[in-house]
Amino acid sequence: MVRLDDLHPEEAQHMRGMGQRFSRMPLGDTPFTAPPPLGEAKIALITSAGLHRRHDRPFRFGDMGYRIIPNDVDRADLIQTQVSVNFDRTHYQRDINVVLPLDRLRELADAGEIGGVSEWHYSVLGSNPNPFFLKDAAADLAQRMRESDVHCAMLTPV
Amino acid sequence: MPFPLGRPLGVADDPEFQKDVLRSALRLLETAAEPVIEDYPHEAPDGNGDGVWACSVSMPQPDVSDLESALRREVDLLMPWYEETRRARGRSTVGMSGATPEQIDSVVSFVAACAEGAGFSVVPEAAQGPNWIHPMPMLLRYVVEDLRAFYQEAVTSRPGTTPPSQHDMHTWIFGETALGRALMQIGHRIAEVGDPPLLMMRGFMIPEGFWIDGPTWGQQPRTDAAPDAFRRAAAYLAGERS
Repeated sequence: MVRLDDLHPEEAQHMRGMGQRFSRMPLGDTPFTAPPPLGEAKIALITSAGLHRRHDRPFRFGDMGYRIIPNDVDRADLIQTQVSVNFDRTHYQRDINVVLPLDRLRELADAGEIGGVSEWHYSVLGSNPNPFFLKDAAADLAQRMRESDVHCAMLTPV
Repeated sequence: MPFPLGRPLGVADDPEFQKDVLRSALRLLETAAEPVIEDYPHEAPDGNGDGVWACSVSMPQPDVSDLESALRREVDLLMPWYEETRRARGRSTVGMSGATPEQIDSVVSFVAACAEGAGFSVVPEAAQGPNWIHPMPMLLRYVVEDLRAFYQEAVTSRPGTTPPSQHDMHTWIFGETALGRALMQIGHRIAEVGDPPLLMMRGFMIPEGFWIDGPTWGQQPRTDAAPDAFRRAAAYLAGERS
């Protein structure tokens, strides 16, 4: 994540407040499951960039669902309906891999560094005051990834 | 990963750097026996911009007495470079509002109308046509983002030049363009209405540090810090006024 010192003071103060609230949320036990060796692991991406295909339902402010991004998606078909203006879009405009590294994962799989790439990746809306709002979506995503033999999810927050 | 927000892989067009970020994260899985946090040790190659970017397209001083004409002059000047970027990249990020790149004239009409007095509850008459995919008033936020994306993609087309940072882009748009003037005018009109959710929406259009009169969200608590207020604001911005 960005360093707070690199943010505008108003934005940094907001982030600190969010961090303090999150730190008081009861997370319970933190599960940990050791995956297979990376060379055998199938990996999916989950981004909070608010990406989706043009014909998909756009993200609305307060949207707690997710969108599916096929691994073979046409990059030109992806748009971003994230609501926040306080993040850098210039690199994403040049190269989708900076938020959704589809090409990089494929290259790692081709080189045998990872076992494979999921047929589907997933996108959520990151501007969210409470991570528990995404609890239902997260549970459903976990089940879907399990059913498609995904071992690891790489989160790419914006 | 100590990169600017919006760039979790660090930098565009640098496959080796991006793969190093991925490998560093994935390798934690090979050694960790419990959840761990580790800092990535490298800065992104052009992480903070060099502060010397200048727009390569010669733009006239915006004429604020006729904002719509000034916007159209800028769009006409930028269009060849936007088309070149779209061709070179094989994609454009314009389309968040539902307007296609070919409908950028309607996007301009929309922004100009809202800057010059149209209400925030219905689509301006002058901007009918595109298949807008968001409700008002939040649609305005995505229309603005489409026009900003058009500008940004147009002025980052020339190869071999130092890519601008997002801060460079905002500084240019708000300091030198009719689009910046239009956004500020919309911001002032929102301030006149004074509804907290609209002020929140202003915070989605004008980044912190670029609104001339204090925090872009206005002098109110950040509404997204309170879940109930967040839900009410989300409903309001989706056009649900009951």
